[in-house]
Amino acid sequence: MAVPLTSLKAGESGVISSIRTNPADRRGKGWGFLKRLVDMGLTPGTKITVIKSAPFGGPVEIYVRGSRLALGRGMATRIFVEIDK
Amino acid sequence: MKKKLTIALAGNANVGKSVIFNQLTGLHQHIGNWPGKTVEKAEGTLHFKGYEIDVIDLPGIYSLSTFSLEEIISREYIAFEKPDLVINVVDASVLERNLFFTLQLVELETPLVIALNQIDMAQKKGIKIDHEKLSEILGVPVVPTIAIRGYGIYDLLKTAVETIEKKTANPSRIRYGKEIEERIEKIASLLEEKNLPYPPRWTAIKLLEGDEKIREEVKKIDPKILNLAQELAREIEEIHGHSCSTVITSERYEAAGRIAREVQKIQPISKRPLSQRLHDLTTNKVLGYPIMFSVVLLIFYGIFTFGDYTSTYIGDFLYGFEPLFDQIIRDHILKEIVWNGVIEAVIAGVTIALPYIVPFYFILYILEDSGYLSRVAFLMDIVMHKIGLHGKAFIPVMLAYGCNVPACLGCRIMETERERLLASFVVTLIPCAATTVVVLGLVGKFVGIEWAILLYAIDLVIIFLLGRIAFKSLPGEPAELIMEMHEYRIPHLRTVVNQTWFRLEEFIKIAFPLMILSSVIIKAIELFGLFDPLSALMTPITVGWLGLRREMGIALIFGILRKELTLIMLATILGTTNFRIALSPLQMFVFSLVTMLYIPCIATIAACIKELGWKKAIFITVFEVLFALLVGGVAYRIFGFFGLQ
Repeated sequence: MAVPLTSLKAGESGVISSIRTNPADRRGKGWGFLKRLVDMGLTPGTKITVIKSAPFGGPVEIYVRGSRLALGRGMATRIFVEIDK
Repeated sequence: MKKKLTIALAGNANVGKSVIFNQLTGLHQHIGNWPGKTVEKAEGTLHFKGYEIDVIDLPGIYSLSTFSLEEIISREYIAFEKPDLVINVVDASVLERNLFFTLQLVELETPLVIALNQIDMAQKKGIKIDHEKLSEILGVPVVPTIAIRGYGIYDLLKTAVETIEKKTANPSRIRYGKEIEERIEKIASLLEEKNLPYPPRWTAIKLLEGDEKIREEVKKIDPKILNLAQELAREIEEIHGHSCSTVITSERYEAAGRIAREVQKIQPISKRPLSQRLHDLTTNKVLGYPIMFSVVLLIFYGIFTFGDYTSTYIGDFLYGFEPLFDQIIRDHILKEIVWNGVIEAVIAGVTIALPYIVPFYFILYILEDSGYLSRVAFLMDIVMHKIGLHGKAFIPVMLAYGCNVPACLGCRIMETERERLLASFVVTLIPCAATTVVVLGLVGKFVGIEWAILLYAIDLVIIFLLGRIAFKSLPGEPAELIMEMHEYRIPHLRTVVNQTWFRLEEFIKIAFPLMILSSVIIKAIELFGLFDPLSALMTPITVGWLGLRREMGIALIFGILRKELTLIMLATILGTTNFRIALSPLQMFVFSLVTMLYIPCIATIAACIKELGWKKAIFITVFEVLFALLVGGVAYRIFGFFGLQ
C-alpha cells in the first residue's frame, strides 16, 4: 500500500509509486513542482530512504540516487511510496 | 593574431565549478550579469598554446528545463552562442545525479569534455570510478580532477583544446524506449529543415516533455508540429500511466544510473567520514539549533567588533584630510557641497563597505562553500515557512540584520522570480545594523531596554503579517525547499577571496553613485535654506499624525541616506545628545518605529532596482513609507493611551 513519504520513520526506505499534485492547490498549478521533483531524480520507481526530519514539521532529509536532499514537508506529503519489506 | 576560443563550464551546483573557473582564469576574470537578467555571469580569459580562450562559468543547475532562470539562460547560451566546447564539471561523489545533467548536454549536441571532479571526496566515500570506461560509454573525453588542489587542471585544458582542434567529440546519446524513440524521430524529421537554433532531436524531446519555451518557439514556425507532438505525448502517457515528461526524465535517470553503476565500484568504508559525522551533528534535532545560533551570533559579534574598530580607524584617518581640504578650498558653498556632500558620502560608504561588508561576504562564502549554509537552510525552513518563504531565504534574512544591501542582492539564491520578490520585500523590512544603532541609542538608552525589545517584537509581527499577505497575493506557484546537501568540504580560499572582491566591487558600483547624489541634493536643500519650509510642509504628518516635534521631519529625511543619520541629525538639530531633555519617551518610541520601517536606505533602494527593476523597487519604497507612517500614527495613539508619555 502506498503511503506518504512523511509517514516513513528515520532509516526506513520505500519506492516512489506516485507524486500527487493537488489541482485545487493555488490556482491549479503544480506542474512546476512536479517537474522540479522529477528533475531532482524523484521519478516513479526510485528507491528513497528517509534519513531524518527536522523538528516542528520541518523538512525531510532523504537519500536518493546517491545524494542527500532536503525536501519541504508539504512536498514530502505528496510523494507516495511503497514501503520496503 | 591569436585564435580565439570560447569554452563554457556547466554542471550541478556545488561541484567545484567556480573553483575550476578560478584555477583556469586566475585574476583575468569579470563577473557581471547576463544581459537583462539578475543571474550572475562570470567570464574570464586565459592563454594556452597560442589560443586566447574565453571561459564562461554557467550557473550551477540540475537540469535544462524551464524551472529557473538559470536553467533557461544556460541552455539558451549553449544553443544560441554555440561555444566551441562545454566542460561539464561532474561531482564524482554523486555521479548518478550529475550524469543526468551530462546526458542532457549530450542531447543538446554540444562538443563536450567532462571534468570528473572531487575524486578525493568520492574515494573517502569508498567510491572508485573507472574514468576511461566512462569516457568510452559516453563518447566524451573524461579528465579526473581535484580542483581545489589544482590537480588535473592542466590535463583538462589540454584535452579541451585537443578536442576542439580535432573536432573528435562524438558523444553517444542515450536511447529511450522504442515507443518513445519512434515518436521522437517522427517529430524530429519534421523539424529537420525548420532552421531552429536547437538540434531537432533535442527539440522533439522537449516538445514531448511539454517545455513551455520550446512549444512557443515551434508554434511560431509550424503549429501543426506542436499539435502532433501533443498527440504523441498523450499516446506515451496512455502507455505508461505517467505524464510524458515524467516518463522521459525517468528513462534519462535510469540511463544515468546504469552508467554510474557500470563505471563505479563502491567499497564499504569501515568508519563514517568526518564530513558525514559533521553533517549528523549540525543537522541534529537537538544540537543543530544551538550550534547554528552560536555560529550566527559569533559571526555577528566578530564582524561588529572588527567593523566598529576598523570603521572608526578608517573614518578618523579620512577625516584627517579635512583641514587640508579647508585650506585648498576657501569658498564656503563649494566646500559644503564638495566636502559635506560628496566626500562625506564617500567616507560613509568606505567606512561601511570595508569594515562590515567585506568580512560579511567573506564569511558568507566560506560558509556557503563549506556546505554549512545548506544545513542552516534545512534547520530554518519551517521558520521561513511562516512568512511564506522556504529555508534558503534565511540566508538573506540573516544578512539583512547586518546590512540590507547584500541581503537584497543575496535574494538571488531563490529559484523563482516570485520567491525573489517576496524575499527582497521581507529583507527591506528587517532592521539593519544602522537601524539597531538608532533603536538602541534612542529608545534603548532613554526609554528602557524593554521598549527597544518591544520595537523588535512589533517589527517581527509586521514582517510576519506583511510576508503572509504578500505571499497570498502574489501570483504564481509557491516554491518549496528542494535542496541538495552536498558533503562538507574545505573551502577554496582563492575562490572565496575572488567572490568577496567582486561583491565589494558590485556594492560600490550600486550604492556609491546614489549615496553621493542624494547627499549632494540634501546638502543643497540645506544651503538654500529649505529645511524650515520643508519642516513646515511636513508638520501635519510629523506633528499632527505622529506626535513628533516639528524638526524631527528633517532627521527622517536624512535617514534616507543612511539610517544612523536620523540619530546624528536629531542630535544636531536638537543641540543635545541627551534626548531625554528634548523628547518625550513616546516621541522617541514612535520616531524609532518609523525609522525601522519607513524607507529602505538609498543604497538598498539601488540594490532593489538592480534586482527587481524600477517599478517593483519604487512600489516597495512608496508602500513602506506610507505603511510606516500609518503604523507610527497608530502606535502614537495606542501607546499614548496606555500611558507612555
